[in-house]
Formats: sequence, C-alpha cells, structure tokens
Amino acid sequence: MKKILIVEDEEDLCLLYQEELTDEGYDVTTVREAETALDLLRRERFDLIVTDIRMPGRDGVELITQIVGLRKDIPIVINTAYQSYKDDFMTWAADAYVVKSPSLTELKARIKELLSR
Amino acid sequence: MIEPHLFLAPDFQSKEPKELALLSIISQSFFQPFSIEDNLLVILTALTSGSGVGFNRAMLFLTDGDRLRGEMWLGPRSVEDARTIWEILSTPGIGYVEIIEHNRSLISLAADSLSRRIRPLVFSLAADNLTIPVTALAKNEILLVRDASREPLIDPRFLKAIDVEEFLCVPLISQNEVLGEIILDNAFSRQPIEPKDIKLAGLCGLLAANYISTATLHRKMVEMERLAALGEMSMFIAHQIRNPLAAIGGFTDQLLAGPVDETKRRRNLEIIHREIQRLEKIIFELGYFLKVNPKPPAPFDPGPELRTVLQAMELKAATEGRELTSRIEDHLPPILGDPIYFGEALRNLIINAFEASPPGGRVEIAAEQKDAAWVVVSIKDGGRGIPQAVRTKLFTPFVSTKDRGMGLGLLYVKRVMDACGGTVEVESEAGLGTTFRLSFRTPGEGRPDT
Repeated sequence: MKKILIVEDEEDLCLLYQEELTDEGYDVTTVREAETALDLLRRERFDLIVTDIRMPGRDGVELITQIVGLRKDIPIVINTAYQSYKDDFMTWAADAYVVKSPSLTELKARIKELLSR
Repeated sequence: MIEPHLFLAPDFQSKEPKELALLSIISQSFFQPFSIEDNLLVILTALTSGSGVGFNRAMLFLTDGDRLRGEMWLGPRSVEDARTIWEILSTPGIGYVEIIEHNRSLISLAADSLSRRIRPLVFSLAADNLTIPVTALAKNEILLVRDASREPLIDPRFLKAIDVEEFLCVPLISQNEVLGEIILDNAFSRQPIEPKDIKLAGLCGLLAANYISTATLHRKMVEMERLAALGEMSMFIAHQIRNPLAAIGGFTDQLLAGPVDETKRRRNLEIIHREIQRLEKIIFELGYFLKVNPKPPAPFDPGPELRTVLQAMELKAATEGRELTSRIEDHLPPILGDPIYFGEALRNLIINAFEASPPGGRVEIAAEQKDAAWVVVSIKDGGRGIPQAVRTKLFTPFVSTKDRGMGLGLLYVKRVMDACGGTVEVESEAGLGTTFRLSFRTPGEGRPDT
C-alpha cells in the first residue's frame, strides 16, 4: 500500500483528504504543521507528499525545499488555495501544482499519475 | 562672516536677470503639490509673465497617441486685456504664486476663448507632408517662423487660429518620446523674437518635456501600485474563499456519491454548515473593516464609552479564560473623534490582545491624560511579542499572523485614528508582550501643530 503524507492546516480538509484518499486505497497520514511533517519524514518512509504552501509556523515553500534536501526521490504535490504561486520558481521543485477546488478529481488524478511512474 | 541663503528665493526683483527669475518660477512650482495640468500652466506662465521670458502668449499642444492636440493657450485676448494683465503683473510684491493663481482663474474661465480656439486643433503626427506645427516635432528642432502668411508649410487652420506673422515652435521631447509642443508669440507687443528669448524658451521646453515625462511615469507608477494592491487583495480573498469551498465541495460529493450512514451524513452537513458560516464571516469582515466612515472629529467624553467597552470585554475575558485589568484616570478631558469608532477600535485591539495572550494571560488597559493636548489609551497583551519583520507590515491590508485572519483589523484601527487626527503606536518585545498606544487629541489649547 502506498503511503501518502498530507500537510494541511485546515482541519476539515485534513479529514476530507484522509477519507477520500483512504477510499482510493492509500495509507494516509495527515499533519497540520510543517514542523511535524519534517519530524515524521525523518523517521518514516512515504511514497508521496501533498502539501499546502502557506501555513502557520514554517512556510510551505520552505518545507518543500527542506524535504527535497532530505529526500529527493519523494514526489511532492502542492495543493493550495493560491493560484498565483504556480509561477513562483520556488514551487518548481514540486512535481504537481493543484489549486484547491470543490472537486477532488484533479488532486486524485495527479496523485495516481505520480505514484504509477 | 557666515550668511545663510535660501535655495530658492521666493521673489525676484526686476534688476535680476530674467533667466534666473524664470528658472526660479519653474523649479519652485515642481515643489508644489500641483497637478500635471497646473504645473504645465506654471511653465506657460513663466514663459509669458513679465518676470519670466516675457512672450505675450504661450500655446500648449500635447500628443495623444499619434496625434498632436491643442491643450491650452495662455495670454491676453486683446490689447486691452494685455494692458490690464501687464499692470497686474508689474505690481510690486507680486510673486509667482499670485501669478499662477491669476492664470489658473484665467484658464478656468468659461470665457477662456483662447484655449477654446485651439482645442479643436488636432494634427496627425504620421502625415506624409509635414506642416507647422508638426514639423518642429518631427525634426526635433526649435523653429522660428517669420512672415507666416507667406509661408506655404504652415497648416492653414493653425495659422488662422494663431493669427500672427512671427512665432516660435518649441518641441517637447524627452528620451525620444514626443510629448507635445509649445508655441510662443508676441501678438500684442509686436516685439521681434530675439535669439536670447529662443535660448530660454528652448530651456523651458527641455524642462517641460522632462517634467511631463516624469509626471506621467509617476502617474503610471501610482496606478500600478494600486493595481498591485488590488491584485494582492483578490489573491487573498480567493485564498480565503477556496479553502471553505474545497471542504463544502468535498463533503457534498461524499453525500452525493452513495448511501452514507446517519452519523457521517450528519457530520458532513455540520461541516458544510460551518464552512458556509465561515464564508459569510469573510464577507462580513470585508464589509466591516473596509468601511471606515466616521463623523468629522468632535469632542466627546471618552469615559462612558471606555466603561461600556470594558464591561463587554470583561465578560469575554471570563469566557475565554483571560484576565483583563484596567487603569482609567479620573476626570479625563474630552477627546476628538467619533465615539462609535473609538469603541470599535478599542474592541478590536482588546480582542486581538486576548488572542495574542496565552490562556490565563493578562491584558492591561490604561487611559490617561499625557499633557494638555493628548489623551493616551493603551492596550497591553501578555503574548509572545511581534517579530520585527511582521511589525513593519502590521497596518498593511491582508497581512495576518492569525490562521484565519483577514489582516484588516489593525488597518481599521489605523484608519479610525487617522480620521480623528490621532496616532497609533506599537511597542513590542519578544517575550514581553505587545502594547498598542492610541493617542487622541483634546480640543484644548496648546496643540503642538496647529
């Protein structure tokens, strides 16, 4: 079973992603802060990370930079409400950029695509 | 001996060279908060006033795309008119401010028949056969025209409007950008245009072109800043709205996808309900914080409003597990402001202070008369303090340290304080909490800057 780490500060969205991605057949862990995500990444192995880019504490872009430093091989999906960061060169390190919307179709599709590579 | 001198003497006497007077008039006007139009008028004024170069009339054309359009024409309309104006201008003690004032009223007159006469004049800059006035621009040369009625290379409509035999065309060009043209004549004094006048007019042309170019750039920059702020705002609002929308959409889809048990159905509906309320709160806050429209500041006793706010906030402190202490000086003098916004600004700062303080933390309110002119109300929280990097952005819209903050609360307080002529200051030290200090003016004597 593929393991996905979700970094998302919105409680309701954490719950939603947890349920929906578990239904898709993934082993899902959700954390609300970038710091916790980094701690977890040092101890556990994940196949993919989904992260927002603006969260309390550490900035998501900074987190991505650190994750890339830590583990170059894990695909990263940026899942955010900000459309405008799509062209920010800091987000180029990510493998996909999904703008949050009322539908999870795109997020699920990107995850599936990256995990089947 | 050490003798101080002003950079720009306010008035020049007639014995001083008129070049100096002219430069003085123009450069002083650039320091005034005039509009572009007013400053162009100043340049035309400098060219036509007795203390300046002393042409009788100055005509301004500005480019508009690939066309040259008549904008304003300054000068007397008749010999009679000229005599009156020159009398006024030669009155001892008349400075450039008065002259500009006079010319502004002249230009704004409905009977400004001169400007009316040239406004319909539009010339194509792209035309094949060049005629005056466009020639000067195309060649980027100052052109002196004599015996105009015998010169075939003058646009007949232009000649009919200006109706003189001798005039000077000064192109306004800055960094290869064609901006306009000034046309000068001596229709009433009939003095021939001297080489010295041409040199000075050329200098004025350079200054005017430079000024138009800088002012236009500045205007564009202000517009871009406004657009950037608007972009920042829409980006922030889009972000704030997309999060609840994603939750509403996702949990609705779950309900629509197939049968779910009652517990999950109820839970989803509660989440959807909660997120909809959040959307409504966003809209409410945008309306509330961006609409600061207080009455003109008037004296009022801050005591009753302070007590009302404190009572409500003590209740809130109790339910949220914070401590609220207050030290309100007796017999506070009246302060200037709008009592309703005074109360709202305080409420905002106290609620902020509660949020910044840890459970059990203390928020301290103090109100005292600092001196005859000022009453200070301060709100101190028991929080961690605000880092320097954030402190500089505190009053910037849509910057928030809070999870779901709109970043509008402090901007609101700032706008309330600006509106009543007061100030808001922040003092913050890591680990020692943050103090917001609101200073309100009293209507009393001894106000420092009035």
